[in-house]
Amino acid sequence: MSEKNVRRFVDNLLAGRPTERARPDDFEAEQMKAAIELRSARLGSDAPREEFLTDLHRRLSDDSVDEPRQSGWRPDRRSVVIGGSVAAASAAAGLVVGRNLLAPDGVTTAEPTSQGQLDPNRGTWRPVGSSDDLIEGAALAFDLGSVTGFVHRTDSKLEAVSGVCTHQGCKLWLDAPDNRLRCPCHSTSFSLAGAILTHQLPVAPPPLPKLAVRESNGVIEVFAPTKSA
Amino acid sequence: MTGAAYPDWDSVYRDNVTWVYRLMYRKVGNQPDAEDLTAEVFMTALRPMRMSATVPEVRKYLHMTARTVLAGYWKDRMGRQITTIDDDVPESSEPEQVAGDAPETVRRLLQRLPDNYRRILELRFLQAASVRESASQMGVSVANAKVLQHRALRMAAQNGAEASS
Repeated sequence: MSEKNVRRFVDNLLAGRPTERARPDDFEAEQMKAAIELRSARLGSDAPREEFLTDLHRRLSDDSVDEPRQSGWRPDRRSVVIGGSVAAASAAAGLVVGRNLLAPDGVTTAEPTSQGQLDPNRGTWRPVGSSDDLIEGAALAFDLGSVTGFVHRTDSKLEAVSGVCTHQGCKLWLDAPDNRLRCPCHSTSFSLAGAILTHQLPVAPPPLPKLAVRESNGVIEVFAPTKSA
Repeated sequence: MTGAAYPDWDSVYRDNVTWVYRLMYRKVGNQPDAEDLTAEVFMTALRPMRMSATVPEVRKYLHMTARTVLAGYWKDRMGRQITTIDDDVPESSEPEQVAGDAPETVRRLLQRLPDNYRRILELRFLQAASVRESASQMGVSVANAKVLQHRALRMAAQNGAEASS
């Protein structure tokens, strides 16, 4: 009979607060429904927060730590009974159980897609430094305009990777003491060879693309796309 | 595509978390509850999931789990269902479109209202204006704007109830 139910509901809704308990009648429920439809139609308001996605990912990963890892699924009837219609739904979809889904420590060990080679249609060998500048184990940043990256020497072999984070394109910086490339945006870090070392994202970003690199007459050269005239 | 399975749980999560969240958000209208419900869906669903399930199977399963989770939420909060998730999942549609008709519903709902009712709901709900801002934009008093909002929502609900009965 009172309007308090709806008023409080709408006030909370418009303030972005969670829904409080109430016992609305039919018409009140209908008003709440209309209010939800209106509120959720606001442009751009239904995108999940990055922190939420990361946090849930971590919770799902942590959840598996106490569970022994299993290879392949193993039927376990106890786990099927989650609640009437979910169990029915999983049965309908032909889903059986197995606790193999949550890989331990998934936050840092998620196996990313394979590492590509940055291979421009039209490119030239461009000098990025002298061979003397790059001793064993060291790394060197370069910026050729069309590409930026890092070249390092390990086991006397040269290797160059792109200097742009594969998550959202922020520019990586060389953390020389720690021997890694760090992204300023989301605390992602890569090895000098371009592999993901740490990240806090729901899903590991791909490794950094490699660039072709060579040494010629004491000069380190990277194969970079030709600038358009 | 139909027979393809997800390589690991990470990809199940990555591929589906956004549409599950959006679906929940559209059903509850606020971020904290939408986050809790999304978490509950994945906590409930991922564990018993078989990795060899195909992509459509996984999506259907998540959809059904979301439906159950939302029903439980409303039962607890309101003792009844305020909004529901439809039973049938359109097989062919991409997950992004699962709840994609919401703007159209709202447009229809607003079209059936008198101008000042429509205006106050647009300002308050769609444009995030405060009561005070809305009142000044509409050239009415704050008290008047509150009454307008209240009556407009009642009429929208009435229309909605008639449309669905």
